Amino acid sequence: MFLAWKELMHSKTKFTMLAVIFILISWLVFLLSGLGNGLSTLAASTFKNMQADYVVFQQGSKNSMGKSLISGDLSEQIVLMDDVTAASPMGISMASAVNENDAVGEDKVDIAIVGIIPGSFLQPNVIEGEGLTADQPTHVIVNDTLKDAGYKLGDTFKLDGSTESLTIIGFVKDQTYNHVASVFTPISEWQKIAFAAPGSDKGIVDPVNAIMLQGSKIDPENINQQLTGTDTVTRQAAVQGMPGYKEENGTILMMLAFLLAISAFVLGVFFYVMTLQKSNQFGIMKAIGAKNKFLYKAVISQVFILSVISIVIGILLTYGTAAIMPKEMPFALDTTMMIAYSIALLIISILSSLVSVRMIAKIDPLKALGRVE
Amino acid sequence: MSNGLSLSNVSKYYNEGPNRITAIEEVTLSVEPGEFIAVIGPSGSGKSTFLSIAGALLKVSNGQVEINGQNITELSDNQLSDIRLNEIGFIMQASNLVPYLNVLDQLLVVKRMTGKVSSEDKEYAVKLLKGLGLESKLKSYPDQLSGGEKQRVAIARAFINNPSVILADEPTASLDTKRAHEVVSLIAQEVKTRKKAAVMVTHDERLLTYCDKVYRMEDGKLTVSNI
Repeated sequence: MFLAWKELMHSKTKFTMLAVIFILISWLVFLLSGLGNGLSTLAASTFKNMQADYVVFQQGSKNSMGKSLISGDLSEQIVLMDDVTAASPMGISMASAVNENDAVGEDKVDIAIVGIIPGSFLQPNVIEGEGLTADQPTHVIVNDTLKDAGYKLGDTFKLDGSTESLTIIGFVKDQTYNHVASVFTPISEWQKIAFAAPGSDKGIVDPVNAIMLQGSKIDPENINQQLTGTDTVTRQAAVQGMPGYKEENGTILMMLAFLLAISAFVLGVFFYVMTLQKSNQFGIMKAIGAKNKFLYKAVISQVFILSVISIVIGILLTYGTAAIMPKEMPFALDTTMMIAYSIALLIISILSSLVSVRMIAKIDPLKALGRVE
Repeated sequence: MSNGLSLSNVSKYYNEGPNRITAIEEVTLSVEPGEFIAVIGPSGSGKSTFLSIAGALLKVSNGQVEINGQNITELSDNQLSDIRLNEIGFIMQASNLVPYLNVLDQLLVVKRMTGKVSSEDKEYAVKLLKGLGLESKLKSYPDQLSGGEKQRVAIARAFINNPSVILADEPTASLDTKRAHEVVSLIAQEVKTRKKAAVMVTHDERLLTYCDKVYRMEDGKLTVSNI
């Protein structure tokens, strides 16, 4: 630590430049991860925040709500099965809302209509207003981002291309599906909207997209065998099955992976060149009795100090950026995720300095006795 | 058995292709504590090899090297590091200070290699530097020092661990006559007062008056010289 710190303090310019590169890399890593997290939240937060463990789909629907159509009556059978503590049907369809109370009345807003049984475990906590009731099917609770679009409690909006009108009686938080705000309606109202065209329910009684299950020890195979034509998966698998979700996350993850790999090489090369520059000094120190271990410690602790400082500044910059980012940007920072990426960056920089450490072992102390430089 | 430096029948060969090159041959030498000897000779005579062997930097092909009564010929690299750290003080050429350490830290870093630095170590380092006329330069960095001052720091660094052997490798190579005399007389003075066995390799014959004995190295053979 002693040598490492003394040198950092003595060659401030050199180390500042190196730190700037490291800060930019860590900043970019954190920004990308925040963006990825934000996007996936926007794409699936309704699903992710749901108090369900398993999802029963129609067989062949590839874990996608949009492709699946089964009868809601099944939930009465399923709830009697082993390890299932609760079962409740759900349906989701995309729509656009036209505000009737708006004077201009032209701005449409994309929404996802989520049909659930009022009062079931699928209903999210209302942060403002009241919850759903079965006897008022057109009264809905909506994600609070609709406030930004000008909606408030008591507003009624029409669904584009439909005769149905819905009234907002409550707001919920962090409920989006397919990048748009979720609107929760009683399932009967959703069925009216989704199967408005005659025959679109394919003759299924009480048609829904899927049945959500609670129960941590559920065996999906068991349900599949007892109910022909269904496919039971975990909620995580259902999230992955959302259209575009995997592709979106995959893109961000690939960028992050490349960024981390590139940073390992960039930092490794910098540390190597720095050590190369100092090989004469290390030779002298070896000649006056320094063991390899002493020099390794000096190099690694220097990389450690530099990395920690750079990562901390990178984190601060990321929170600063998040603060000035427009609200509509899908950007969400997650503390666990930030810690994970910080540790990854730290490990990468330490690993990349190990190349230099190997070089130190090879420096011959005899070099120090070299004649006049 | 001697508390200084002792080489008996030391040879060093290098293999260069099919030929065997003799760097030094059958060198026998003993330096007692408080004795300051010089080794002179033309370049290529084996002086450097001799110094590297005496300094535990190079292993011998034949013969035996003893430092402070300990035979070092069979030691491992790590043990040799310890010998260099605790038993040998190197005075190298002027440039061989660590550029980012101030004068005091140049000495203390050697202490750090052995473990923790105590306040006594610090006092001893300051005392050594004062004795060499560097009390006003304790916080200076090497690039702020003159050639003579740098070499005095190197002398202090060689003495900091209280070694039994002092080895000086062309300590005056980059100094003018006045500073060269100053530096060598300081080495001689420290060697006498602290009772160290000291060897100086040089080709600067002006400075031999400070030495008790002068040896000449020629074609790998060491002989007593009568200068």
